[in-house]
Amino acid sequence: MGSDRTPIFLCAALLLLLVVGLFIPNWLVFLFTISMAKGLVVLGLILLMRTGLVSFGQGLYYCLGGYIVGISGQHWGITDVALVFLLVVLAATLLSSILGLLLCRYREIFFAMLTMAFSMILYGILVKSEKLGSTDGFIIAQATLFGWQPEVEASGTWIFALAVIITLVALLVMHLYFRSPMGFGGEAIRENEIRVEYLGVSPRRLIYIKYVVAAVLAAFGGAITAVAAGHVDPEMAFWATSGEFVFIALLGGTLHVAAPLVGAFLIEIIRTIALDLAPYTWQMILGGSLLLIIFFLPKGLWSLLPKRREEEGL
Amino acid sequence: MLRIKNLHVNIQKTSILRDITLHLPDGKIAGLIGRNGAGKTTLLRTVMGLMQPVSGTIHCLDQNMVSVPAHARVRQHFGYMPEDRRLIPELTVEENIMIPAWSSKIPDSRARLAWIYELMPEVGAFRSRRALQLSGGQQKLVALARALMCGTRLLLLDEPFEGIAPALSRRLVEVLGTLKAEGMSVLLSESDYTHSVGLVDKVFVIERGHVTEKSFL
Repeated sequence: MGSDRTPIFLCAALLLLLVVGLFIPNWLVFLFTISMAKGLVVLGLILLMRTGLVSFGQGLYYCLGGYIVGISGQHWGITDVALVFLLVVLAATLLSSILGLLLCRYREIFFAMLTMAFSMILYGILVKSEKLGSTDGFIIAQATLFGWQPEVEASGTWIFALAVIITLVALLVMHLYFRSPMGFGGEAIRENEIRVEYLGVSPRRLIYIKYVVAAVLAAFGGAITAVAAGHVDPEMAFWATSGEFVFIALLGGTLHVAAPLVGAFLIEIIRTIALDLAPYTWQMILGGSLLLIIFFLPKGLWSLLPKRREEEGL
Repeated sequence: MLRIKNLHVNIQKTSILRDITLHLPDGKIAGLIGRNGAGKTTLLRTVMGLMQPVSGTIHCLDQNMVSVPAHARVRQHFGYMPEDRRLIPELTVEENIMIPAWSSKIPDSRARLAWIYELMPEVGAFRSRRALQLSGGQQKLVALARALMCGTRLLLLDEPFEGIAPALSRRLVEVLGTLKAEGMSVLLSESDYTHSVGLVDKVFVIERGHVTEKSFL
C-alpha cells in the first residue's frame, strides 16, 4: 500500500475539478455534475462486473434515488440534502437487501435479465402512477443544505461541489474496497466460484454485499441527477438507461475506480456534440464510438495507460 | 467420522449416485476406487457440499452436513483437494496455502503452516515461487498443503496420484502415511489400487454410481 498513489491522484484531480468548476460555463458544470452522478452508478456496476455479473437494472436504484429526492421535497416537505440523501441510502439499502436475497442466487444472463425485470417493474409502476406524474414525471423542490437555500443562479455550482465531494468519498472508499480481501473476492468468484466456496468463502454472501453497495451507489447517482436536473421521470428506470450505464462501463473499463467517471464524461461530451451535429441520428455516432471501443480497446479507455499504473489503481 | 447413508445425487435429472452408504471411521484412510465416470468426483464434491443430494444423509461426528454449505464445512475442518488442483497461478505457494486460513480466520494458521512445511519440506523450499512456475506434481503437493491448512478433521482427495511422476506419487504416499499416523481421516479417490495399496484401511469400489463392494485390506 506504500506505493499506492491513487488516493492522492483522486483527491488532486477532483479538487482541481472543483476549482475549474468556478470558471467554466454553467452548461459544462451541469455536464460534469451529471457525469459524476452517472459515474457513481457505473462504479457500482463495475463492482458487479469484476465479479462476472452484468446488471441491466441499475436504473432501478438510479430512479429510486431520484424519486426519493422528488417525493421528499414535493410530498413530505423535506428539502435538506443531507436528510434526503440519508433517506436515499436507507431506501436503496432496504430494497436491494430484499432483492439481493433472490439475485445473489443467479449468474450470467439470468442475473442480467432479472435485474432488468425489476427495473422495468418500477418503470411500469411509475408510468401508471398519476400522482407521481406518470410518463412526464415531476419537477422537484429546490434543495437546501442545513437550512441554507442558495440562490437559483448559484444552485448549479453548489450542487456540482456537492457531487464532487460525494464522488471523491465514494471513489476513495471503493478504491480501498477493491484492494481489500472482499474486493479481490469478486475476481476470485469470476475466475472460479467453486474454488472460492471450498476455500471457505461464501460467494452468495459476497455477491449480496456487492449488490447492495452497487445499489446504494446507483441511488446516490440518481439523487445527484435529480437535484441537478430539478426533474425526475420514469425513463430513469427504463432499460435503455441501464443499458447506457453498461455502455459507459465498457467505454471506461473496469481497471480503475476513476474509469467510470472518464467514461461517463466522455459519453456526455460525445452525446452533446453528436446531438449538435446530427440531431436526428446522433445515436449512430454513439453506437459507432462504442463499436470502435469494443474493437480496439476491449478493456476500455483505461487500458491505454501503462500496465503498472493500472495495477496500482485497482 | 464420516457416515453416508442412502445418498442419491442427480446432475440435471440424471441419476449419478444411487443409494450410496458408507462409513469412514475416525483416523482411517479409505480409498474410493472406480473407473472414469463411476461417480467418485461427484461423491467427494457432495461430501464437500459443492453438490446437493436428492436424498440421503451425510453425517460427520453425528452432525448432518447436508444443509451445511461448502464454505461452512471449511470452518468445520474439512479439507478438499480437487483433481485439477485449481491453485491461483499468480499467487505464491505460501499465499495459496494461506487462503483458507485468511477466509476462515484460522487462529493458529502460522503454527499450522510450520507443521505443513515440516511434513512436506519440499513445499517449504518453493514457498515464495508463484504457483504457475510449478510442475503438475509440485502443484498437487501444494494443493494437498492447502487442503491440510483447514482440513484438520477430514481430508477429501480427488485422484491425488493422477498425472504425476512416480517419484512424486511415492512422496505423496509417504505424506499420507504420516497423516494416517497422526490420526487424520482421509477419503481419497483413485481409478485403481496401484498407489494406495498398503496405505488405505478400507476400500469402497464404486461402479455406475453405486458402491458395489466394501472390503478391509
